[in-house]
Amino acid sequence: MTDTFSLLFAVLIFPGGLFVIALGLALKGVERRAIARLQRRIGPPLAQPVFDMIKLMQKRTLIPDTANALVFLAAPLLAVASMAVAAALIPVPGLYAPDPRLGDLIVLFYLITVPAVALMLAGSSSGSPFGAIGFSREMAIMLAYEGPILLAITAVALHAGAEMGQPIALSLSEIVAWQRAHGAFLLDPWMWPAFVTYLTFIPANLGIVPFDIPEAESEILEGPLVEYSGPPLGLMKLASAMKAVVVLGLGVALFFPAGPEGLAGLVLFALKCLGLVLAVAVLKAAVGRMRIDQAVVFYLKWPEALGLCGLALAIWHA
Amino acid sequence: MNFLSKITPRIVAKSPWLYRINAGSCNGCDVELATTACIPRYDVERLGCQYCGSPKHADIVLITGPLTARVKDKMLRLYDEIPDPKVTVAVGVCPISGGVFRESYAIEGPIDRYLPVDVNVPGCPPRPQAIIEGIAQAIAIWRARIGEAA
Repeated sequence: MTDTFSLLFAVLIFPGGLFVIALGLALKGVERRAIARLQRRIGPPLAQPVFDMIKLMQKRTLIPDTANALVFLAAPLLAVASMAVAAALIPVPGLYAPDPRLGDLIVLFYLITVPAVALMLAGSSSGSPFGAIGFSREMAIMLAYEGPILLAITAVALHAGAEMGQPIALSLSEIVAWQRAHGAFLLDPWMWPAFVTYLTFIPANLGIVPFDIPEAESEILEGPLVEYSGPPLGLMKLASAMKAVVVLGLGVALFFPAGPEGLAGLVLFALKCLGLVLAVAVLKAAVGRMRIDQAVVFYLKWPEALGLCGLALAIWHA
Repeated sequence: MNFLSKITPRIVAKSPWLYRINAGSCNGCDVELATTACIPRYDVERLGCQYCGSPKHADIVLITGPLTARVKDKMLRLYDEIPDPKVTVAVGVCPISGGVFRESYAIEGPIDRYLPVDVNVPGCPPRPQAIIEGIAQAIAIWRARIGEAA
């Protein structure tokens, strides 16, 4: 009974559910503020994403006649639910290690792709041509970035496994525990190609300029989200804020989980995520959007090559 | 519950999303709107504003232009796609009087024959400061409207 309770707690309150929502919205607020400052504006209040969320929950939900209502309304729920579970699989170094029964690195990898799939479902079920374009773009870019990220994660798993005397380490909490005892992979030059591959994966997966092609506001009016309004739109935005925490948190866990125990560890975890978000904000303020063909070619060329490099190094070094 | 119904309009009013409809405008007002939105000097994001591409995401709708015959049906349809509660701001003199296009055979305006206009920002084109003031007034109206709805 207590077991079920602790699993539910992990998924719904900490670190899934409430915690990841709060941290995700806070990071979003910091990001918007940072971009405004980089453009010499004052920018919105830090709590702006929270205001937006409360506003969207008050608005009317419109469902287009041409939409498949069931899929259209299920997609946002799917995205949020998958991210709540995925967050429960992310270790918060020094404070929380995920229960092995919830799943391992492979489950997490699949869960991270679910919001993209939900976005595709949303776009294709909305009956809007903009949604359909967004759907095809999301599919194309997803196929391009999945390869490199899988290579990066595999490289870390193989390297950690070799260090621990196993063929491959698929438990994220063991990888974190080993790094906390013996030094972070970020300080190991053998792991740098895998780390850079992971960094290139972040903007594509989070839909950040120059890779926000599926949701390009100025060309296809946020693509798959164009027909959404009110609470479902809010859930979609919420899922993307939660995904930021999951993806950045996975990066922290894989490459630099060092830090103190207890609550201080939690604070440091949030600060590391914040650092990555600020880097992302600089990127967002500095560059324009790529075309979908450019982005696909980019991912199949450079991150893919780097990822292969990282994997080869991890195997050779083992 | 009473506390909630008091506090929500205040929070909600901090997140007005803007949508622009060009009802046959000469583009002068649209350039001013783009200036208001895009350049750092007039930072409307301070008020929590965000321009959105889809009418279904919008709260405050900014209409420019004298409403030409060609664009009338499309504009009314777009207006209907904006979920309630919403506020309408007519930007420039054209939506209200037709401006320099008044009495043209191609004009179906003024716009307030077809939909309720809450705020008018006169000018040909209006200055960005005036547009921001219009948006601020629209936010106040919107807040009252959410309070009524809640």
